[in-house]
Amino acid sequence: MGPLLLIRYGEIFLKGLNRPYFLKALQQNIKLAIADEGARVWLSDSRFYISGAADINACALKAAKVFGVHSVSHAFEMAKDDYQAICDKALELMRGKTGTFKVQARRSDKAFFKDSPQINAELGEHVLKRMPHLSVDVRHPDTILSVEIRDHCYLYTDVIPAVGGMPSGTNGRATLLLSGGIDSPVAGYLIAKRGVKINCVYYHSYPFTGDRVREKVINLAGKLSEYSGEVQLSVIPFTRIQTQIHEKCAEAYTTLIMRRFMMRIAAALAVKNNAQALVTGESIGQVASQTMEALVLTDALVPMPVFRPLIGLDKQEIINYAQKIGTFDISSLPYQDCCTVFTPRHPVTHPQKDHVELAERVLDTQSLIDDAIEGLEVITVNAYTKEDA
Amino acid sequence: MRVYLDNSATTRPSERVVQAVARSMQTAYYNPSSLYKPAMEVEKEIASFRAILSCHDHVYFTSGGTEANNIAVFGNKPQTGHNGRILCSAVEHPSVREACMAMKRHGRRVEEIPVTQEGIVDLECLETMLKEDTVLICVMHVNNETGAIQPINEMIALRDRLAPMAGIHVDGVQGFLRVPLDLSNIQSYAISAHKIHGPKGIGALITKKASKPRPFTYGGGQEEGVRSGTENTPGIAGFKEAVMAYPAEANSRMHALKITLYDRITQAIPHSRLNGPEVTDKRGAPHILNMSFTPVRSDTMLYALEGEGVYVSGGSACSSGKSKLSQTLKAMNTPRSDAECAVRFSLSKDTTREEIEYAAEAVIRQYRLLSRYVRR
Repeated sequence: MGPLLLIRYGEIFLKGLNRPYFLKALQQNIKLAIADEGARVWLSDSRFYISGAADINACALKAAKVFGVHSVSHAFEMAKDDYQAICDKALELMRGKTGTFKVQARRSDKAFFKDSPQINAELGEHVLKRMPHLSVDVRHPDTILSVEIRDHCYLYTDVIPAVGGMPSGTNGRATLLLSGGIDSPVAGYLIAKRGVKINCVYYHSYPFTGDRVREKVINLAGKLSEYSGEVQLSVIPFTRIQTQIHEKCAEAYTTLIMRRFMMRIAAALAVKNNAQALVTGESIGQVASQTMEALVLTDALVPMPVFRPLIGLDKQEIINYAQKIGTFDISSLPYQDCCTVFTPRHPVTHPQKDHVELAERVLDTQSLIDDAIEGLEVITVNAYTKEDA
Repeated sequence: MRVYLDNSATTRPSERVVQAVARSMQTAYYNPSSLYKPAMEVEKEIASFRAILSCHDHVYFTSGGTEANNIAVFGNKPQTGHNGRILCSAVEHPSVREACMAMKRHGRRVEEIPVTQEGIVDLECLETMLKEDTVLICVMHVNNETGAIQPINEMIALRDRLAPMAGIHVDGVQGFLRVPLDLSNIQSYAISAHKIHGPKGIGALITKKASKPRPFTYGGGQEEGVRSGTENTPGIAGFKEAVMAYPAEANSRMHALKITLYDRITQAIPHSRLNGPEVTDKRGAPHILNMSFTPVRSDTMLYALEGEGVYVSGGSACSSGKSKLSQTLKAMNTPRSDAECAVRFSLSKDTTREEIEYAAEAVIRQYRLLSRYVRR
């Protein structure tokens, strides 16, 4: 009995016989997200509950970021058999409220001695009599006093919208090509939201890109991990590949060839990490390497699907997403992520396959890839276990 | 080997400074405003340091150069009309420039004094700009990016002739102790401890007795009411030690090393560009050398040198988080391609010949490697 968090899940409702699998995963993910709160998490009658948190407000915000959670409420758990206590708690919750309200009861325990319309009417009247400054509006109330009759009675007036989606890890694995830019973290977020466990790959071109960029990418991976739990970030040394491309290949093709190397390496890492797909932040036509022809030529190299959740979005729409998930400010730091030194002045926008392959032929592709993967550094990023989290 | 050549960003506090700060915190922690004897001792210590800094002027301790500059601009009490013009050189540190811009947003008339290609205030332009309604002229003693020493004495002469009521505020953060300046004809001078091996978080504004600024923070009335707040006694103790310990001969040694660094680099990289006055020119500070190694971009060179253990800056460290081009280099009409490739080496009293030679070799080695990979 007492204050707790009441957590609703979203799409898992649609699941049939495998619903327990998703619920178990969600419960585990919630536990991991609030591990440092010392709280208890349990599932009962289609709701998760959290009690005993060191900081219940911080705990609510963390839970609201877990994929699969639909919304979170600060609720009070009451014994069902003490109706007077329920009425008193209702008054207590409405204290300080102004304007209009309504009572919204939901009775899943059909044995309870009052049905939902009765509870609505009686509790509404109880509140109105003692708080005459309030009035009832059943269509657009300022406050909804919710009463759920389950194994216990739960009362609350707030509903914190959560991120929704599916529990992380329930829909396979994918490798995200993460740069320090605005787009790729959003793409990773959107795929991770569907329950896909994401690992990231970042290409580091020291000294053309420095430790500030690396730190920025680690922070972006950390932001993703606030939603999806632990993220593995593979840092690939990319200088040799970039310099070789720059020295040996036709200038107009250098960006596309670089992208092709990135895709090949990411695919190799994906196979190594048991990931079944790649994720990129590309949006059709945004830059020269993201024209239809260029996308076809990068896609053709990898033996797995490439998910591009931003493919139909405008830049502003992507920025809106980035602001919503909290990656925009990190992405906006000025340290350049993909070396502009190597950007050709006139990149080819309608590349042809045979031309690209010809331009690429001067490179020892496999050995460059093998060397890059050989030098990879894996960083584990976990927002849940950060000391200051 | 680790070579720190970013001393215009900050310097390493000397051991004596660290001890002075610790001593102040351990044994002389009393509030100088309190009435008992140990507190009076602390107050006396502070007073003695004020006298060392300037016996004829007011010395207001601040949290550093930025605050001192802000007090000088915002706290300026013009001797004539309240909407007189403020002139500010085009290469000022953001703590002066942004303060002036804020005044402009509040309706004050603020104008920028152009500089020459060497980054020195254009005196001919200044002569046409100075009018009797000018109330404040802001100019830095030594430019933090190029090391250009501003012609303060010539500016004073022009002011005396054309705008006698105008005060001159000099941002002395990069010049203090390293380039001599007579303070008797300027209104105020801002200094900072951590640029001369003192602690961070302490600086001062030295002003003429007749030019007491308006209060900047209100409270207990410390610093003659200009900057209320309990004095940063450990900071002041460290500042004092840094000033006392600063070796007079360091400047000529730094200058010689700066010339060596420049000569070594230019012998190997003749296309490199010097941003600022010639290294042997007396209008250049002894400790700052700014060069462009076009086509190697600043940040690439910085990261590469870091890999060699050499720490330098692109522009000023305060603005290195911003991707914009240096305002100073822009004002000097430096071509964009060169401004993007500017590297600042800043020396200190502790810099050795061995370090300079190592740094020069590192620059040459990295330039040869990196200049191959440029945008075609």
